[in-house]
Amino acid sequence: MNAWENLMYGFEVALQPEALMFVFIGVLAGTVIGMLPGLGPISALALMIPVTYGMDPAIGIILMAGVYYGAIFGGSTSSILLNAPGVAGTVATSFDGYPLSKQGKAGKALAIAAYASFIGGTISVIGLMLIAPLLGRVAVTFGPAEYFALMVFGLTAVVSLSDKSLIKGLIAAVFGVMVSLVGMDLQTGTARYTFGSVNLLDGIDFLVVALGIFALGEVFVLLKKRTGASEQNPLGSLKLTRKEMRDIAPPIGRSSILGFFTGVLPGAGATIGSFLGYSMEKRIAKDGDTFGKGNIKGVAAPEAANNAASGGSFVPLLTLGVPGSGTTAILLGALLVMGVTPGPLMLEDRPDVFWGVVASMYIGNVFLLMLNLPLIPLISKILNTPRAMLLSLIIIFCMIGVYGLSFNPFDLMLVLIFGLIGFAMRMYGFPAAPLILAMILGAIMEENMRRSLQISQGDWMIFIDKPVSFSLLILAAVSLLLPLILRFIKWVKNR
Amino acid sequence: MNQKCKRFTKAVGISVLTLSILSACGDPPEEPNDNDGMETNENTGDAENNTVSENNDNNEAEVSGDWEPENDVEYIAPADAGGGWDTLIRTTAQVIDQEDLAPVNFAPQNIPGSGGAVGWAEVANYDGEPQPLFAASPPIILVPLTETSEYDHTDFTPVANLITDYSIVLVEPDSEYETINDLFEDMEEDPGSISIGGGSAAGSMDHISIAGAAAEYGLNAGDVNYVAFAGGGEAMTNLLGGHVDVVVTGVGESTGQVESGELRPIAYSSEEPIDSLEEAGAQTFIDQDIDYTFDIWRGIMGPPNMPEEAVAYYEDMYAEMMETETWREQADDLGWVDNYQDSEEFGEFLDEQFDLFEDVLSDVGLVE
Repeated sequence: MNAWENLMYGFEVALQPEALMFVFIGVLAGTVIGMLPGLGPISALALMIPVTYGMDPAIGIILMAGVYYGAIFGGSTSSILLNAPGVAGTVATSFDGYPLSKQGKAGKALAIAAYASFIGGTISVIGLMLIAPLLGRVAVTFGPAEYFALMVFGLTAVVSLSDKSLIKGLIAAVFGVMVSLVGMDLQTGTARYTFGSVNLLDGIDFLVVALGIFALGEVFVLLKKRTGASEQNPLGSLKLTRKEMRDIAPPIGRSSILGFFTGVLPGAGATIGSFLGYSMEKRIAKDGDTFGKGNIKGVAAPEAANNAASGGSFVPLLTLGVPGSGTTAILLGALLVMGVTPGPLMLEDRPDVFWGVVASMYIGNVFLLMLNLPLIPLISKILNTPRAMLLSLIIIFCMIGVYGLSFNPFDLMLVLIFGLIGFAMRMYGFPAAPLILAMILGAIMEENMRRSLQISQGDWMIFIDKPVSFSLLILAAVSLLLPLILRFIKWVKNR
Repeated sequence: MNQKCKRFTKAVGISVLTLSILSACGDPPEEPNDNDGMETNENTGDAENNTVSENNDNNEAEVSGDWEPENDVEYIAPADAGGGWDTLIRTTAQVIDQEDLAPVNFAPQNIPGSGGAVGWAEVANYDGEPQPLFAASPPIILVPLTETSEYDHTDFTPVANLITDYSIVLVEPDSEYETINDLFEDMEEDPGSISIGGGSAAGSMDHISIAGAAAEYGLNAGDVNYVAFAGGGEAMTNLLGGHVDVVVTGVGESTGQVESGELRPIAYSSEEPIDSLEEAGAQTFIDQDIDYTFDIWRGIMGPPNMPEEAVAYYEDMYAEMMETETWREQADDLGWVDNYQDSEEFGEFLDEQFDLFEDVLSDVGLVE
């Protein structure tokens, strides 16, 4: 069977009334859950496991996949409107989405997020369909050394995310890496920076930091302003001008492809995909310095990337049987409970599951676009909520979201502390994005550096001997040094 | 199909609804409860949901005495949803409910954190009570040994050991290692040059399993060059990509890779041979002249000083559960091997495991 016949077979599965209904329910539930700050796809999927008991595996996985990419789709809404990321993968969306919303262009930002998500999602399904069986093989060539180099390259984005003061950006990034080190060290089993507290042994969850720094930090800043009357941020038009369309099309295309491949790499996923997409576009764009102040490309890029990555993350799960992220690990568990073992044999044993999910993703993405666009005016009524109420609501949602992660009251204290840190950072002009980026990438970087050195018995040449890792490190060096070199050339010329 | 549809719509609808309520009150145990309730409500109406229903007509369940639970049983997986403990808790709760083995609901609940220590600390508060019950496996011995938990296995009451999995040693199909002895012989010369990946942190299950086997062969357990990954899946991906030389993980986790021939097993840790693995070309450690077994057991434990009659009730209930058809189906799907031990046997077994793990961990250098 070629890809076309396979896909047609998949649509036969996905167009059954039962399947259609569950795609719809899945994406609807996903969107709603994704919008609530903190309640991410992981908790949503975990709650779906009992629902899928006894279901046909193809239908069950179609439902769960719908919840997953629906949550990533919906997560952008609260990032844009409230600066409170709904899911980790949409943190980068708030960098430009929230400024846009403050400028009275919330409608535009939400519409762009919906279009970009739709296109990113669809491109990743095409990728999944055409090259999934091949990609699984390529993904495994990424070992610890290659991951380390990729993360080093990703971290160089700190420079471009630092807006005015590079020093302050670097301080924020170092703090982010420090936060990521808290918890038990995998390679030695030693507790680091836990101060003897059991609650810190698992480390600090990324969402606790993101919600604290972004959402609560913003709330505190607004409280301090004491402007009295609620600032009415009008929704603004949903329509995009032709020029805007032309502006966002290339970033969406590039970020979708980048996001898909990031998702394919085990351990990377939607969050990293969205950050890489954002910082790539910021570097490429001519108006890169307006990123972070309400540039529509800054909404389009991460939204396309995170949805593409969520599709890409199905590649290692379905073709190799290994989950690349916490979310796909839950999907793997659910499939096992339903009696399907994902892996290389699944394409032959259960083509209905594989191709059914793929086809259902096309349908699900169309549903999501149809659901989300008309809902925008309704959802953005949030903006008209009186300020006192809105701020209290954001605080409540953050607390619920954080509590829902771990059911541990200790994390509520933590999110408050990070809220205060976020507030202080804003008061003294420290950028928050490098902190978040460094926290995510830093943890993976350190872990893989330790693994590599464990394998090589302490020989640093392992990073140079491997061609992929070596090229990535060169890229990182170039991206750091290039501005300096250019400046030097200019200086020489001027003399 | 139509009716099935309807039921699931309802289930999904309510799930979403409960989810929003749940997020409002943050009370995890209610969700699965409601769902379980609904499965039965199909026929019986909404009357007997939730609370204690006093139907004493399931005589067989209470052969062992007069005691039976009066309140819903808090049933804890001290980890996130989706893992081994969670699957055990949810599966057994479902079987108990479907087979009507207890007069009350078993309400699954996740208390994740610190490899179980947060959940254990919670259970320890219920000294002398008949519940909550929780899922336990080797980490309840290993985690306290490496001093990251205030409580250890002796603080809790063993109720019953239920199932077991085994450790498996995997290599790439074209690897030079045909047997575990090939591997260990190579390690005699230069142990550091052979990297052995596993799906858990240093000092936990996968590490102990291979270090213990190496020590039995005559190597220094501390010389094993163990590389920790964040799960068996990640470890196996790294083996597929040739980044590590060997991987140690659970037999259950490796089924897909072994069946497809993508990875080749060279040894596994059960006492008796397992057909599917023998076909794939592996033998037990024992059959390769290394007198070593390693069980990844999973059982149920309760709070400190649980009343004897409650322990007796639950150990019988689990014994009965494992006789049911529903259990058989579920366990087979999940690749679980029955390994029932009653409270007393389980307790003795735990003490033996403690001695074994303590020896290996001190050889490795993680315990003084």
